[in-house]
Amino acid sequence: MAQRISELSRRRLLASGAAASAVAIAGCTGGSSDDGNELLFTQEKGWAYAFDPIVANGVPTAQVNEQIYEGLYTYNEDATDIVPELADGEPEVSDDGVTWTAEIKDEATFQNGDDVTAEDVKYSFEAPVDEETENAAEVNMIESIEAIDDKTVEFNLEYPYAAFDTTLTWSIVPKSERDGNEEEFGHDPVGSGPLQWVEWEDGQYVMLERWDDYWGEEQPNISGIEFDFVEEQSTRVTGIETGESDVIETVPPQLWEDVEGMDDVTIESSLGIGYFYLAFNCNEGPTADPQVREAVDYAFSMDDAIGSFVEPAGVRQYSPFPQSIVDAWDFPADEWAEIPHDRDIDQARELFEDAGVGMDYEWNIIVPPDDMREAIGESVSNGLQEVGFENVTFERLEWGTFLDLYATGSEDDYNMYTLGWSGSPDPEAFTYYLFAQELEESTNGTYYRNDEVDQLIMDAREEPDQETRREMYIEATNTILEDRVHLPAYNMYNSYGVADYVSDFQSHPDSATIPLSTHFNNVDVE
Amino acid sequence: MTIVFFLVNSIPGDPVSIMLGPTPSAEQIAEVQAKYGLDKPIYERYLNYLASVAQGDLGESINVNSGMPVSELIMNRLPITLLLTVSAFAFAIATAVPLGVISAKRRNEPTDHVARIVSLIGVSTPSFWIGLMLIIVFATHLDLFPSRGLVLPWTEPGTGSRVTRRTETRLEILVLSVKHLILPMITLGTLQMAQIARIERSTMVDTLQDEYIKLARAYGVPENTIVRKHAFRPAQLPVITIIGLGLSTALGGAVLTEFVFEINGMGRLIIQGIYQRDYPVVMGTTIVFGITYLVGVIITDISYAYIDPRVKYGEEQ
Repeated sequence: MAQRISELSRRRLLASGAAASAVAIAGCTGGSSDDGNELLFTQEKGWAYAFDPIVANGVPTAQVNEQIYEGLYTYNEDATDIVPELADGEPEVSDDGVTWTAEIKDEATFQNGDDVTAEDVKYSFEAPVDEETENAAEVNMIESIEAIDDKTVEFNLEYPYAAFDTTLTWSIVPKSERDGNEEEFGHDPVGSGPLQWVEWEDGQYVMLERWDDYWGEEQPNISGIEFDFVEEQSTRVTGIETGESDVIETVPPQLWEDVEGMDDVTIESSLGIGYFYLAFNCNEGPTADPQVREAVDYAFSMDDAIGSFVEPAGVRQYSPFPQSIVDAWDFPADEWAEIPHDRDIDQARELFEDAGVGMDYEWNIIVPPDDMREAIGESVSNGLQEVGFENVTFERLEWGTFLDLYATGSEDDYNMYTLGWSGSPDPEAFTYYLFAQELEESTNGTYYRNDEVDQLIMDAREEPDQETRREMYIEATNTILEDRVHLPAYNMYNSYGVADYVSDFQSHPDSATIPLSTHFNNVDVE
Repeated sequence: MTIVFFLVNSIPGDPVSIMLGPTPSAEQIAEVQAKYGLDKPIYERYLNYLASVAQGDLGESINVNSGMPVSELIMNRLPITLLLTVSAFAFAIATAVPLGVISAKRRNEPTDHVARIVSLIGVSTPSFWIGLMLIIVFATHLDLFPSRGLVLPWTEPGTGSRVTRRTETRLEILVLSVKHLILPMITLGTLQMAQIARIERSTMVDTLQDEYIKLARAYGVPENTIVRKHAFRPAQLPVITIIGLGLSTALGGAVLTEFVFEINGMGRLIIQGIYQRDYPVVMGTTIVFGITYLVGVIITDISYAYIDPRVKYGEEQ
């Protein structure tokens, strides 16, 4: 899904780094308490109305659902691969890549005591499409699902979808609880995970408690977890400082050093599976010319912009692929890092003149309501003005308006835009959605028309052999970067401020995953 | 309501694209539009909405809490905002009236100058800045009050979030509630306090120069008695008017205060609704704000009769 993190920086004043005080506010004490070792986790945003993975999307709700529900598979510690969760062993894949078979562990049970069966798996994967929920696109590559027996399920795909392993992390719900009771299920959810539902208060909190009869090996150390949310960054950081929160999500760049400097707080971070970029309108206007796009690259320094506005909460990224994918697929990131130019105003001016772009041209750059992406847009705007352009319009739009404009391909709406993308740890997520011609007007606002590249991207989705896919993605990405369809910008850390009395808390590259009791960690509140 | 309906619907941006994200199919878009009636022409939507509201149905939230009845959302959030607003007014009146009266009594003396400067600062300082300063000083540095949230005083002890779940008595809940309320209450109430204090002073000054007051002085009635028994009540009419009018400002101020203190009341709800193009939420909150304002005006009018016996309703004069 597109990154939509709107930041209203109303309170940077609070970034003044006050000395941490461990004195607890009455009723807001952190750490051990009468009600056991419960964790208070403060998120960035509020939740959906229903805690039902079939209908709910959005990271905050997913973070809660991840504790209640389990998938056949889940991501490993660094999100480079999937590991069995409800499944027993690896999935079997047919030679043509169309049929996938998974076994369910015998001991797997739901919180209501029922066994997890193939029928539940079949139901969970079919429901989003049958009910036409917002999540239908996540599983609509499945043509049919067959429950071979109680514990064996077979998926038949419409085409050999190479990234289907990541689809197998889809949450499994008990059919007996949800079927015919869809409305209520989201407010009293039942899963097979180690934490079970207690209650929620709209706009206030969500509470889960340890399921003592959890079927798996990893019983949580914590007695429960309470989620609340604080949208304003400075207030969230103040909360970890004053003991109002045990863990806070997302340490913003301007407050990173403050949190690092706190005596009783540490930062846990992992690079996310994300990508932020500056994109060009290749459909209309001067940016349809690759030479003009190169001139824009010369007009400003992306390195400086990232250094000033994103680091240390994020890192410079030179391709559409986050580091976890680069590592897992052995992509030539070093070569791609050589492609962007250093800032050279004279060179930029020369290229603009060669391309016949007059200094009276009215540039239009649009950015979503996010400080970092705004900073990138502003850097481009300043660079163009330095080149000599008199009319550079740079607009920070709120999401509703931005989403209406960014994929129209119209010169009147934009020459350039900044946006981000987060997806599954597969190259497909960072190529198909951003560059495929069939997604123009949807998620591809560039209208980059290169049939060869498009074919590579489409073929790579259905290619079962990983090495062949790798070569396809490298070839397509080389052209995309050389043609400067995007100027890759940065990736963010999934970062957390963690109070010292919380032990074994680990970050994860998948922003929806908050590992509490896994094969690699087990959080405790001491 | 009509104006708000057409204004909200004319803002660029589509609730469905916000709801479904960047990858919906045409069928999904059509299905969601049909579900929320967004596929119909705007005049038809307007008439349907009026018909629903007439039956007490404010519709379902599209994006803020997709699928949740707006009335339920409002019922959750309204008590929070009312608690904040009523407390802020209580604080404003409790501080402004004595300030104004003392100022009028000590006209042009140092006490009066100090009171007027305090009022001037209160009127000219943005409420969100006051809030930030209060948080920095009293929450972050002195750690006396929480920096976020609100606790409703009628919460059952031992229930709710971690803050209230660790309580055992009503008194503990009440203490928590007051602690959470103090900073936002001062933030929202300062502007009202300053405005009321200025009006209080000027009306008291005028009243203290009326003929019947001069007569009382001539009879040797002590000044304190004059202020308390003869001048105070008649001087409150303009003050009541300002308080009534201040209700609309306070509801606007509640939006900012709720943002600063991360309080999930009506203020944040309406902003979320606007950002996410959640038409039913924006309309529902606007209607409730409108009704609240009308109730405030009616209470103000009724108060006139109580304060000044010369004002009578429902009788031929």
